Amino acid sequence: MGKNDHEAIQAVLEGDKEAYGALVVRHSQSLFRVAFRITGNEADAEDVVQEAFLRGYQKLESFESRAKFGTWIYRIAVRCALDRIGGHRVDDSSRVAEETDPEQEKLQVADEAAGPDRLLLSGEIGALQDLALRSLTATERAAFVLRHMEDCTSEEIGAALGIPQNAAKQAVFRAVKKLRGRLAPLRVMR
Amino acid sequence: MKHLNEEELIEHYYSKGTAGAGKHLKTCTECAEAYAALRIDMDEMKFAAPPARDPAYGERVWQSIGPFLPAYHVRNQSWLDIGLWRGLSYAAFALLLVGAFFAGRLSEHKQAGTMAKSTPAPAQERAAPPQQRIVVVVLSDHLDRSERLLVELKHADAGSEETVSPLRDEARSLLAANRICRQNAAKIDDPELAAALDRLDQVLGELANHPGGLNPATITRLQDEMNADGLLFQVRVLRSRIPEQEAAKAAQSKEGEI
Repeated sequence: MGKNDHEAIQAVLEGDKEAYGALVVRHSQSLFRVAFRITGNEADAEDVVQEAFLRGYQKLESFESRAKFGTWIYRIAVRCALDRIGGHRVDDSSRVAEETDPEQEKLQVADEAAGPDRLLLSGEIGALQDLALRSLTATERAAFVLRHMEDCTSEEIGAALGIPQNAAKQAVFRAVKKLRGRLAPLRVMR
Repeated sequence: MKHLNEEELIEHYYSKGTAGAGKHLKTCTECAEAYAALRIDMDEMKFAAPPARDPAYGERVWQSIGPFLPAYHVRNQSWLDIGLWRGLSYAAFALLLVGAFFAGRLSEHKQAGTMAKSTPAPAQERAAPPQQRIVVVVLSDHLDRSERLLVELKHADAGSEETVSPLRDEARSLLAANRICRQNAAKIDDPELAAALDRLDQVLGELANHPGGLNPATITRLQDEMNADGLLFQVRVLRSRIPEQEAAKAAQSKEGEI
């Protein structure tokens, strides 16, 4: 029978490096899930998972035994993912404008892209939503992902992003407002 | 009647109706309509689901990072003790370079002053030694840039010139810095760092100076080799090993350019 998280951590700190493997195996899936949702990219998400476990290993001595390892390493992964998307250039291929038209609040896409009606018909709503998500700032995007997809509370989001709870709440609000504005063309088709 | 604003409606949506806005929504048609519209928008925000990882994924992650992690008791002894000496060595190296820079400038002034007294202006111009640039390389910055380059290489589209061209330019600019870091690693007797920088040098050299330019086959081979020997991860481990205070100290003493 395998060790539980706290036993495994104790073993690692006593020099049994292999015990960390059990923690990696146990938590890799959940870390990949949140990393993918924040980065929106499979390769980046895999890098984030590796980096999170590396940082976790190096900081393991500072891990408090009262906490849950899963929550602790999850927060590290969120920070790594945030660093990753914060440092990335805007993908030219998506060609999403930084700002939407203030009057119309419509998503600005490249000329060759299909209009909302065609997008709807060709089942590309999801892709349009992903583009809108990628146009948010790194903090807004991470906060929104944690709230909307990971069901985290504002307190948990604040802790994961290293910002006050109220700032986390405001980041979610801004993200929702921007997304609603940018996805407004889809509303017309409903 | 004071209506609910969008933030309150969003809060109500995420709190699953437990926030205090519920009562108001039952009595205010305007807010109820706004909330209904918000709920439709929010319910329809369904983003791409993460691709499934097979059950062996966690094991693969461990296989990729495990070999690079030092056992904890070894690390406690070596990283604390050796890390202190290593940190001091880096600081001494940086100070030496800064000292050399100022000594060079002082010497230049002195020389210029002497020559101004003893020689006429045209001769002085001919005799003035070319100004030497002092280049200070901060290891943490170098590893940071190298990591970014390797990440770009890892995800590069081998057939795209748009992707390949910036890689080549960045590799060229990193080569000189890498050489200085390698020399320093040899001086401070850090075999792990020296080995990684040697390997990095090969990759940078190939990217920067591959005969006939970079072709898709070369990029693919470099990507495969890099994945096989875990160079990117090694660079990450080395970067994270440098204490933050050391990086800050180095940044303060940074006088030249990388």
